Amino acid sequence: MSTIKLSIDGQEVEVEQGATVFQAAREAGISIPTICDHKDLSPYGACRMCVVEIEGVRGFPTSCTTPATQGMQVSTRTKRLTDLRNCTLELLFSGHPNSCFACPHREPCETHRPQATKAGRSTRCGFCANREECDLREMVLTSERQELKLPVMYSAYKLERDDPFMDRDYNLCVLCGRCWRICEKIHGEPAISIINRGKWSKISTAFDKSHLESGCNFCGACIDICPTGTLMDRYARWQGKPEHESVSACILCPNGCSVKAENKGGKLLAYTMPGFEAEDRLCALGRFGAAQIVNSTKRLTRPLVREDGDQIPMSWDDALQSVGKGLIARRGTVVVVISATTTREERFIYDRLATALQGHLIVLPFEADCETPKIKELSDSVQQGKVQALITNGPLVSPQILKNVEFSLVIDCLESMASQLATIVLPSAILSEVDGTFKTSSGKIRTLSKSSILPGGARPEWMIICLIAKVLGLNGFDFDRAETITSLIQDDPAPEKFEREPRNNCRDIPIRFRGHLVADFVPGLKAFELPTTLVDEAEDEICNGFALLEKKEIAPNMHLLIIEAPQVARFALPGQFVILMAKETSERSPFTLADWDANAGTISLIIEEVGRSSRELTSLTAGDQLAHVSGPLGLPLSIQEKGTIFLGGGCYGIGAIFPLARILHEAGNRVICMIEAASSHLLYWQQELAEVCDELLIATKDGSGGMHGGIQEGVSSVTEKEHINQCIIIGCTFMMQQVSDLTKTFDIPTLVALNPIMVDGTGMCGACRVSIANQTQFACVDGPFFDGHKVDWEELTLRRNAYAPQEIQALPQGIHLTSCLPTSTLKMGD
Amino acid sequence: MSFASIQQTAKEEWRQFEQYDRRRVLVGSATCGRAAGSQEVLRAFKKELITNNLLNQTDLYEVGCMGLCYAEVLVELRGTDGQRVLYQGVTPKDVSHLVESHLINNQIHKPLALAVVTSEFNGELPEFSELPFSKPQVRIVLRNCGIIDPTNVNHYIARGGYNGLARAVTLTQDQVIEEIKESGLRGRGGAGFPTGIKWAFARNVADEKKYVICNADEGDPGAFMDRSVLEGDPHAVLEGLVIAGYAIGANTGYVYCRAEYPLAVNRLTGAIAQMHEHGLLGQNIMGSGFSFEIHIKKGAGAFVCGEETSLMQSIEGKRAMPKPKPPFPAVSGLFGKPTNINNVETLAAVSAIMERGAAWYAGYGTEKSRGTKTFALAGKINRTGLIEVPLGTSLRTIIEEIGGGVPEGKKLKAVQTGGPSGGCIPDSFIESPVDYEHLAEVGSIMGSGGMIVIDEESCMVDMARYFLTFTENESCGKCAPCRMGTQHLLKILTDITEGRGEPSDLEKLRQIGATMRNGSLCGLGQTAANPVLTTLKYYEEEYLAHITDKKCPAGVCRDLIDFTIDVDQCTGCGACVLACPVNAIHGARKESHYIDKQMCIRCGSCRQACKFEAVLVI
Repeated sequence: MSTIKLSIDGQEVEVEQGATVFQAAREAGISIPTICDHKDLSPYGACRMCVVEIEGVRGFPTSCTTPATQGMQVSTRTKRLTDLRNCTLELLFSGHPNSCFACPHREPCETHRPQATKAGRSTRCGFCANREECDLREMVLTSERQELKLPVMYSAYKLERDDPFMDRDYNLCVLCGRCWRICEKIHGEPAISIINRGKWSKISTAFDKSHLESGCNFCGACIDICPTGTLMDRYARWQGKPEHESVSACILCPNGCSVKAENKGGKLLAYTMPGFEAEDRLCALGRFGAAQIVNSTKRLTRPLVREDGDQIPMSWDDALQSVGKGLIARRGTVVVVISATTTREERFIYDRLATALQGHLIVLPFEADCETPKIKELSDSVQQGKVQALITNGPLVSPQILKNVEFSLVIDCLESMASQLATIVLPSAILSEVDGTFKTSSGKIRTLSKSSILPGGARPEWMIICLIAKVLGLNGFDFDRAETITSLIQDDPAPEKFEREPRNNCRDIPIRFRGHLVADFVPGLKAFELPTTLVDEAEDEICNGFALLEKKEIAPNMHLLIIEAPQVARFALPGQFVILMAKETSERSPFTLADWDANAGTISLIIEEVGRSSRELTSLTAGDQLAHVSGPLGLPLSIQEKGTIFLGGGCYGIGAIFPLARILHEAGNRVICMIEAASSHLLYWQQELAEVCDELLIATKDGSGGMHGGIQEGVSSVTEKEHINQCIIIGCTFMMQQVSDLTKTFDIPTLVALNPIMVDGTGMCGACRVSIANQTQFACVDGPFFDGHKVDWEELTLRRNAYAPQEIQALPQGIHLTSCLPTSTLKMGD
Repeated sequence: MSFASIQQTAKEEWRQFEQYDRRRVLVGSATCGRAAGSQEVLRAFKKELITNNLLNQTDLYEVGCMGLCYAEVLVELRGTDGQRVLYQGVTPKDVSHLVESHLINNQIHKPLALAVVTSEFNGELPEFSELPFSKPQVRIVLRNCGIIDPTNVNHYIARGGYNGLARAVTLTQDQVIEEIKESGLRGRGGAGFPTGIKWAFARNVADEKKYVICNADEGDPGAFMDRSVLEGDPHAVLEGLVIAGYAIGANTGYVYCRAEYPLAVNRLTGAIAQMHEHGLLGQNIMGSGFSFEIHIKKGAGAFVCGEETSLMQSIEGKRAMPKPKPPFPAVSGLFGKPTNINNVETLAAVSAIMERGAAWYAGYGTEKSRGTKTFALAGKINRTGLIEVPLGTSLRTIIEEIGGGVPEGKKLKAVQTGGPSGGCIPDSFIESPVDYEHLAEVGSIMGSGGMIVIDEESCMVDMARYFLTFTENESCGKCAPCRMGTQHLLKILTDITEGRGEPSDLEKLRQIGATMRNGSLCGLGQTAANPVLTTLKYYEEEYLAHITDKKCPAGVCRDLIDFTIDVDQCTGCGACVLACPVNAIHGARKESHYIDKQMCIRCGSCRQACKFEAVLVI
């Protein structure tokens, strides 16, 4: 192909004919900002960031759409371009929650919260799962942004969480169009495109139906190519940015697709496509299911040996000794049953073991169940006593066989009926945990490379067999790596042809993997009506608990719940809290009372969705019942006339300071209320608060309403004018700590309402332990109010984060929880 | 049948149509006429003629629009004496008088008579062509509108129709293009790109398959030029399209017409069928060896479909979104093939040019802006209507002569051209000739031809806000500057009109506007800020009054005005009290009244009700 020469910023560049100016620049190492362009997509020209100036061409063409021509003189960084780009960036960015960038406390806040808060709605970077990987954030951080100070246009789209595997929050979308373009590229007819016009332009399916109904194949390409946090892999979402990527293969079905294994800290986050070409696409099971299987809580992690009817956890050495005994005695009557989705090395070594034990190996076709003729035959042999020992790498044989056979060894990764019935269970490694090769049904040989850490005591199957052989004193099993086995394999058959094509149709997803029903471990697959064996955790019956009278999302991610709880309402005092449980199986979680009405018998709470329990509560709708409401708990605020009292509230704290303001004001104090939010559209209850205090101050982190900054700035500015006798602060730990540090310098007595992890709320469990002036206290019975100047903040932060990984693991992966209330209840970005 | 014999038949039919001793009723029945009640008038005529036993002796026709919107329903009557008179504002109850006096007694029914059509019978009535409304006009594109029966191809042919095509097919493609180039015709869709050059681009790309498209997706609010032509003279456009196809070497044409124009779609469908019948479409047209087919594609109402690349995506069945150029449609357009796209008015001019020659057409207009242009004249003007004038005609001629000036003696403030993409021309430029260059010079654009007259009682900020409401809704959403820019402009303008404006807003408006102009992907975004930028350029003090004084000088923005009663003027008649929907006006009878400002919702009803101009806006 012929080449052409052009000049970019005075640098001569030679590119192939047909290249765009953008590509030419990239080749020359000149970076031009862009968000909609992607190397694997054709030019689109939507973000308008990659504008350049070309001699002899009018205006500011986009480099991504302009073909390079011979002798072209291109400038990429003139003053005019910088100005235009900055302005365009501000416009682009104003359609995306961005308050963190204008926030004076961003850096300490990000240090305090190294991981973003796992919110329902991402209302800013600090609440966004994509914070570490956001192209938009990166672009803004590297730009010389000017301050046009455009307000955020928050569209208040409803969260889309009703489809399997993906969470979608179009409030973060900047319409770069990468998602629908990759969908079109990979699948031909895209499942998604832009719907509506103007302000309401949005990526969606035809007629705005769910993805499930739209013909989406859940290949996940859109998620992987999305530069913002709009499209997220629900499972991997809050686990952080992958640290390690390696090319491997998925052996969940005989297609054996090439994958990119993304890991963090040795944990598999996802199998993703190795590239963005049609042939790289994956099925929903591979893309989303693999990580859920590998990280399943149902993994087998310890050898188990049956003794006197019970399976007892044992060390590997002891378990191997037991295996040795069991097999040696039954030499000649051993059958090894394995699945076709076993690596070539493992199959080879299983075969060698079967031969050495004068038994034989049965390789079951993929997805075969106990009705397979081979298994029926085996059943007869077991009945007749011809087979006395069985080795299998999954629940591949019928329970009957396992019950009847004298000795059974199950080498498997996941719990099953087979592992429960086995004489001995040895935990094995799977998928991203193993090295090896796999022959696909089309005969290609793919390489699996180990990238994840094995859970507990699990070991690769080839190694387990070698260990068994060693105990048995067999020769020919001296392998220390899977690789050394590979070279010995000759003429192995490819797995039988897999007739279905899961990559083109979700209904074709394999039902079983090594005998296990995949939907048992990947709840999202139930959406495709895949069968499960495990009995669903009993759905909570509709309990006659506490009626939820009203629920509304009064600001993005902030929900007002009014609950009928007459006894609580009757005895409630300002500053107290309640412990709620949405369902009988829910965790107990504490929430400060925002208001109550003893006559009506109701209590009001402001709940911010930041995890499983709050999501369970905010997913309820008016008319539902809560399982439990315990309270009022905690010591009420002691109300005295002290003079000028400054009440500061942020996030849920805006609601929490409301009853305090009312009673302190009634007690004759001068009450200054100050509320903060990241942006003005996140504020609420201004009117309500204004009515119960002497002065209401507002601060926003992006300056879009009231004072630019937070409660800190408010305290400082008030102290310049008047003396504050008392500060009372409710909000996130970071904010309370910051304000306490500040008021200490002003010598203003400061109370903070602490929010440690709490379980029973009555002083019994000790979970809510906090250190106040080096004295241990319990937030539930000694608090929630403590002297902010004496709190051990570092300890509190550590304790609050103690269960962060478990909290992420607990987030629901199914699709039974509906999202939020309709958009209409939200304030628009005005 | 040869074209010559078709012409023969057509001429005979036309002769009968024009036969002077036969009674004839022509009712202007384009969509505009229908909205004003032409169908009811037509039925009334039928009924009245039956009653008088005249139906057999009278020809009753629906014709297109003559452009006199202010005079709808417009009826032309011809009695047995051959006298043809235009009657304006006809309602069904006028019909019996008209039939009796004009059709039976050959007497002009004076109360509704507007003009006589032919000078032969000129008596007390002015001649139509001599009316101030008509005199400065030159009707080329609108040559047949309101004159022929648009459903009758023979009428079109008899008046010279398809002569242009007949001539074109005898020329080479390049000769046709040369003719168009010589005529100086520029694209009438808005941008004004020379049509002949555009054709040459598409002609010079070698490809088996090429397309021509007629852009009939007229979307500007208040613009209806294309609709009138399509409804009143569909063949003029279709002939132009066939000529364009011949010139560039395309065998397929599309008319992309808004679905909101059902009558136009109907007329086009009928016209295409007639063309097939007469061998003007299909294989081997007029024996030239040239074959051509036309398809109609109905648009679903997105403004952005007026943008050519979006329009083509829409024809392809995709979401209408502009594509970056290059590649230009002439190289890779519809279905990736070389495509030429022209606006309705351009094509209607093409057929006239091919019939009468480039020199004739170039004889109208100015040096760089040849020919005529249609305008939809609307707003605060006495004679609203659809007009066609030679380019270079001054704004004064258009507004004062044709339009009859601003009503109620109010002062002209500005003229808005180009719709949501255009700008405001202040009254100080009233002598400006209307052509591409001069409009651009004052910061506006020709656009497709919307022309809205603004008087002193219109608020420029409010008007800019109105246009931004439109573009904010109609932005396709693809590119960031347009999608977000329109939202921010609208928000700032709304804040200003509601009293929340800040001095820094003006700089923001300018900056966002400049970013949209320089950064947007297509014409919609590039021009969407024009209504803001031009009003800001000429009426900055009006913006400042809103922002700093919190006042709306024009008395339009409700949050910034108060109504008060001038005690000296008020007679205490109580009309305002009755008009007030919230009982905010008090006062004893025959004594001066007052408005309770707390109660007042600033609806302006009192002001309208007052006969003494005692209600003031402050």
